[in-house]
Amino acid sequence: MKLAGLKSIENAHDDSVWAATWIPATDSRPSLLLTGSLDETVRLWQSDELVLQGTNTGHSLGVVSVCAHPSGAIAASASLDSFIRVFDVDSNSTIATLEAPPSEVWQMQFDPKGTTLAVAGGGSASVKLWDTSSWELIATLSIPRPEGAKPADKTSTKKFVLSVAWSPDGRRIACGSMDGTISVFDVARAKFLHHLEGHFMPVRSLVYSPIDSRVLFSASDDAHVHMYDAEGKSLIGAMSGHSSWVLSVDVSPEGAAIATGSSDRTVRLWDLSMRAAVQTMSNHTDHVWAVAFRPPGRTGERAGRLASVSEDRSISLYNYAG
Amino acid sequence: MFTDEIFRVWVTGGVLTKKKVSEKEGKEGGGEEQARRKLEDLVDSHPDDSCHHFNLAKLLWEGAGDSKEKAAEHFVKCARLNPGNAAAFRYLGHYYGRFSVDPQRALKCYQRALSLHPDDSESGEAICDLLDHQGKESLEVAVCRDASAKSPRAFWAFRRLGYLLLHQNKWSEAVQSLQHAIRGYPNCADLWESYGRATELEESRVFAWVESGNVFLILNSFRKAIEQFQHALEISPQSISGHYGLGSGLLGLSKECLNLGSFRWAASLLEDASKIAKAGACLARNFSCIWKLHGDIQITYAKCFPWEGDDLASEMVEAEAFKTSILTWKRCCYVAAIAAHNSYQRALHLAPWQANMYTDIAISLDLICSLEENFNHNLSVWKLPEKMSLGSLLLESDNPEFWVVLGCICGQTSLKQHAYIRGLQLDISLATAWAYLGKLYRIEDENILARQAFDRARSIDPSLALPWAGMSADIHARDPTSAEAYESCLRAAQIMPVAEFQIGLGKLAQPSGHLSSSKVFGAIRQAVQRAPHYPETHNLNGLISEAHFNFRSAAAYYRLARHATSTFTGSVLKSNLRDISINLARSLCLAGSFLDAVKECEDLHREGALDAWGLQIYALSLWRVGKNDLALNIARNLATSVSSMPQTSRAAFVSFVCKLLYHISGKESAIFSIQKMPKELFASSKVSFVVSAIHALDRSNQLESVVASSRFSLASLDEITGMHLLIALGILIKNGSGSCLGVDDGARHLRKALHMVLLGNLLLHSTDWESSHMSVRCSSLDHFDIPNTIGLKSACEILGAAGVACYATSYSKSQFSFPTCGYHSHEPRVIQKLQRFLHYEPWNYNAQYLLILNLHQKAREQRFPKHLCHTLERLIQIALSNPLYSVEDMSCQYQKFQILLSASEICLQGGDHIRSIDCAKIASRILVPNDYIFFAHLLLCCAYAAEGNVMSMEKEYFTCLELKTEFHVGWMCLKLMESNYTKLVKLDSVESNSQDWSMEIKSSVNMWSAVSCLMQGLIAVQGQDFVSAEVLLARACSFTSSESCLFLCHGAICMQLAKQNFDSNFLLLAVTSLTKVQASSRHPLPIASVLLAQAKASLGSRVEWETNLRLEWFSWPPEAKRAEIFFLMHLLARQPKFGSVSPSTLESSQSPEQWILRAIHVDPSCLRYWKALQKHMG
Repeated sequence: MKLAGLKSIENAHDDSVWAATWIPATDSRPSLLLTGSLDETVRLWQSDELVLQGTNTGHSLGVVSVCAHPSGAIAASASLDSFIRVFDVDSNSTIATLEAPPSEVWQMQFDPKGTTLAVAGGGSASVKLWDTSSWELIATLSIPRPEGAKPADKTSTKKFVLSVAWSPDGRRIACGSMDGTISVFDVARAKFLHHLEGHFMPVRSLVYSPIDSRVLFSASDDAHVHMYDAEGKSLIGAMSGHSSWVLSVDVSPEGAAIATGSSDRTVRLWDLSMRAAVQTMSNHTDHVWAVAFRPPGRTGERAGRLASVSEDRSISLYNYAG
Repeated sequence: MFTDEIFRVWVTGGVLTKKKVSEKEGKEGGGEEQARRKLEDLVDSHPDDSCHHFNLAKLLWEGAGDSKEKAAEHFVKCARLNPGNAAAFRYLGHYYGRFSVDPQRALKCYQRALSLHPDDSESGEAICDLLDHQGKESLEVAVCRDASAKSPRAFWAFRRLGYLLLHQNKWSEAVQSLQHAIRGYPNCADLWESYGRATELEESRVFAWVESGNVFLILNSFRKAIEQFQHALEISPQSISGHYGLGSGLLGLSKECLNLGSFRWAASLLEDASKIAKAGACLARNFSCIWKLHGDIQITYAKCFPWEGDDLASEMVEAEAFKTSILTWKRCCYVAAIAAHNSYQRALHLAPWQANMYTDIAISLDLICSLEENFNHNLSVWKLPEKMSLGSLLLESDNPEFWVVLGCICGQTSLKQHAYIRGLQLDISLATAWAYLGKLYRIEDENILARQAFDRARSIDPSLALPWAGMSADIHARDPTSAEAYESCLRAAQIMPVAEFQIGLGKLAQPSGHLSSSKVFGAIRQAVQRAPHYPETHNLNGLISEAHFNFRSAAAYYRLARHATSTFTGSVLKSNLRDISINLARSLCLAGSFLDAVKECEDLHREGALDAWGLQIYALSLWRVGKNDLALNIARNLATSVSSMPQTSRAAFVSFVCKLLYHISGKESAIFSIQKMPKELFASSKVSFVVSAIHALDRSNQLESVVASSRFSLASLDEITGMHLLIALGILIKNGSGSCLGVDDGARHLRKALHMVLLGNLLLHSTDWESSHMSVRCSSLDHFDIPNTIGLKSACEILGAAGVACYATSYSKSQFSFPTCGYHSHEPRVIQKLQRFLHYEPWNYNAQYLLILNLHQKAREQRFPKHLCHTLERLIQIALSNPLYSVEDMSCQYQKFQILLSASEICLQGGDHIRSIDCAKIASRILVPNDYIFFAHLLLCCAYAAEGNVMSMEKEYFTCLELKTEFHVGWMCLKLMESNYTKLVKLDSVESNSQDWSMEIKSSVNMWSAVSCLMQGLIAVQGQDFVSAEVLLARACSFTSSESCLFLCHGAICMQLAKQNFDSNFLLLAVTSLTKVQASSRHPLPIASVLLAQAKASLGSRVEWETNLRLEWFSWPPEAKRAEIFFLMHLLARQPKFGSVSPSTLESSQSPEQWILRAIHVDPSCLRYWKALQKHMG
């Protein structure tokens, strides 16, 4: 289990790079790396040489989140002004512009089948679900208010939803909030199930294990990475080692390892069997805002790849060997 | 059932709060009784239930009187039954502590209570107080430590511990405790104070510095805070809180500077702050607050970065250079705004749940939009700033300030109104919301609503600038006077130095006449720094420079304004550009660059953009450049259009045309034109002055009728006096011949007009020396310290000059001389006044000059005392070093000449002949008329004579003769020289020369003849030739009728002749002359009366002898009375009294012996007195 640096691009963007994801390969092209930055652009990069494939403009504020459709044909980017731009990856034509009130778009993710886009609703304390064919809002999964709290109470800001993740089977959605709680929803019934507790600072990134729909990994500002049994409401593992906020977590395609990016400027690789960090990459000079494993594609793209993007405007690509 | 009952009792009795119980007591005394009885029943029935005991005990405890002991009993039982009831122990503690005084037991009870419930502040404070009374401080500390260790919420313990540790000088520990306590009691002032003090005292640690810095930040004393944080950073350069604090401190300080309007200072502070914040952000990249701070700093920088192009105004700037300079400035602001924007985004990204971040981004976006100036008012689309400001409202919809921000940022009027009103619904006393609402209504022309809103905002917070500005903007709606509007706007601009307010202030200053006010000056100069791309700023700046008479820079500013108009305003308003160009032409014209002005005007003229004012400027500049024909052409055009002009400006045009005509084509043509013009055009005071001036120059009085009719329009007193002066001047010019003005006629007119200062001035110019007294009388009525508004000469100068003209004016003590001049001095302290004058205006060389001359006069009067000469020498030295006197100006040279003469005379009198000669020689080389040069040579003559250098003296004497003078004094001196040195000078040319000279001045022929005769007479007296002397003096007397000196001389000589020849004819002549002396001089001249007395006595009139002797007594001032006077009084006193002579006559006040004794006392050397005394005694 090892990471090896392949390629690094300094000044990949004009300003801090805040978001990154892989667009799965399609029949016509291999998978691409999609990054979003404070410079209000979204860029597409070809692996492994990280050749700039295209620069998409159109946002008026920094891009905070990007996500890709499982088919690899479309992708979405969201900026601080709460506009979500859904675009065709190859032609860069805008498919839809989804607008939400400000502060109500944060992390996004397409469901595994690609029929729904889940958006962490920030200040609305909810997760919004958008239909990917009609691009209409189909559901709002709200975190219930604590007992006895009045509607005008400001506690809603405590439940500011930062992150969202689909379970691999598409039945569950988990979302992480600013107060450190993680809420789990039943998608089919659009019902809140329960909270997962353990973090006490904002949870900025969530990911379900690809091999087990119950296992959820979370990254929080309290410098810990937690592993939950999302169904059983229990914390089944806590990994510490980062010296500052953990900003991003992603799990390797085979589910044996997770990678985390932190504001301590490092990228760590964790062996899940040992529940410990096995490697620390410190090639970035600032916050590592996002880490992303490349999904397995066709032949020729079997090799594992991990990308990390940072506040220092750089993108790094690593070879991951399981 | 059992539990139900307990519950009911519990509800009815135990749980009732104290307040409710007492209420019940008030209503029905039985209520409490009943409850107690029920509880007692319960206690009886359930003796093992601690609850009942507690409730009963509490009821008893809170009841009045002696129930405390009973309560204590029940508390004891309760505690025994339930040892975990902390409250029971607390009450027991109170009981033992306060009622049955048993401190040990009380302590134990409290301790127990605290161990059960450490947060219980009541027990805690009580136990501490108890220990404090006993002086057991260490125990107190232990209790507090114990409690604070047990519970983090035992804030009382932290507070107490903090104070105790502070008392024990353990600063660092105290700081921690206090810090913790502050969380529990955030509003406790004492805590904050001790905290600040503790942190201050704990010097060595960064923490202390940072914390005391923070305390200073809270208190808004930024300078001190900055110091503290700098110390902290010195100790620990990596301290994030140090960086943050320093950054905030600098930001706070720069905002203070901004409010003062000192943009450069603020900008430099912000540059430092930005560096600090950046460094802090590098240390802690995931602290959103530090990014926000950086954003705040950058946005403030963008808002205050000043345009540094002021110096551009000093040179001729090309439009291109100006444009680049502005663009660089804008770019700089833009970059800062973008940096702020990015920093805010970072902060938001790190902490998206913080509502104010959205507002910050919205504000920064708004600023960026305004800097980009792409106003696409597409109302259908949500603009980004609006949307972002909604973000904060979504998170915190109950914050009224977010609503106000939304209102400010959004573009839709209805939404704006809604937002402000929502803000006001949340907080009715939000002054800013009222103010902005007022502004909105103002824009929508809802003036009444606007006024109400502004009034409300102002009454809530008078230190808010916007309502004041709104008030002044109301000038069109409500029609306050322009002065009121100006005042309001001034206040707004002073509260908040924003370019918009300042420009408004400048615009309001124009109609209300405050353009030259320094407040406006400062405001507009600041506005130039912040809004250099508005043409209006530069235009106003130019107007202000013009108001300060700085025309050259005004022209430069107008040029800038024109550049700004053509470069930065999208659609150039023709009228604006034209106004600026006319302003430019005017200031160029005023600055004296007529060629440029002509060029400007030509351009404008070609476009047909010149209005009547512009045409005036054009014509004037053309005339100054020498293109008279063109100028005349334009003037003619103007004249034809005069009748169509508004009444107010018509006068100026008419007077301009008249003046121009006069200057270009001369008097006759101007008069001709004036006569052709309709008379009603002249019905204005301004025009009246111009026409009268032309009329004054015209000897043929062609304009009589026009002038007469125009004078009716004079209204104010100033105008009337001015016109009188003008008329007087006219009379002077018309009646004067050649270079001599008809002073007398003019003065006559002015006397009629009774304008004091002017009269004084005019009289001074006359050659008639008597009038100087008149002038003093006039000017003395004038106030000393009010400078003469007419700008001619100040009263002081008149006074000084008069003092020189006749020293009787400044004559104070008669100990030295007897003025023959018949005028009283009204200002006896001329020298002091001149000194004060010089002190007021040290730069006034004229004052210095006059002081020197007056002092010289005084020195001469007092026979050149040493100290005065010394003072004078120093004054002269200073005066001569004055660069002014190197100027080849007639009056300057004349002053220098006079000063040199004075120096020379002082030296001569001091015995320094060589220097005296030097000075006089220098003086003789100065280019002044021969009349004056004469005196230099005269002085040289004297100096050589004193030196004994006969050759040179003779040479100078001849030079004097050649030069001639029209001053009697000079001639008399020369004559005296001649008579003293008869052996040397063979020529008797002086007299004949004087005859020639005197012919030149008609007015004073008589005086000249008189003086000439006097001199000859005096010379004859020297030669003991009294007979011819009498003849000559009689002639002299015949020339003048009022010169008492001449009569006195004549009288004396007659007396001498009478004595020699025993001729009573001479006695009669003497009597006539001497009587004339008495009659003509206002100050009685000495000796005249005694001579008259002698003459009268010789003629046999004893009574007149007595009266005249008495008169003689009074003609001597008390301090200068001679011995002979006393002796004469003795003679008088000895006369036997007749009849009704009142006993109170002067001489009878003392006995004859006393008079003699006084005479002897004054002059003991005179034998005569002794003899008289002897005779008297004998």
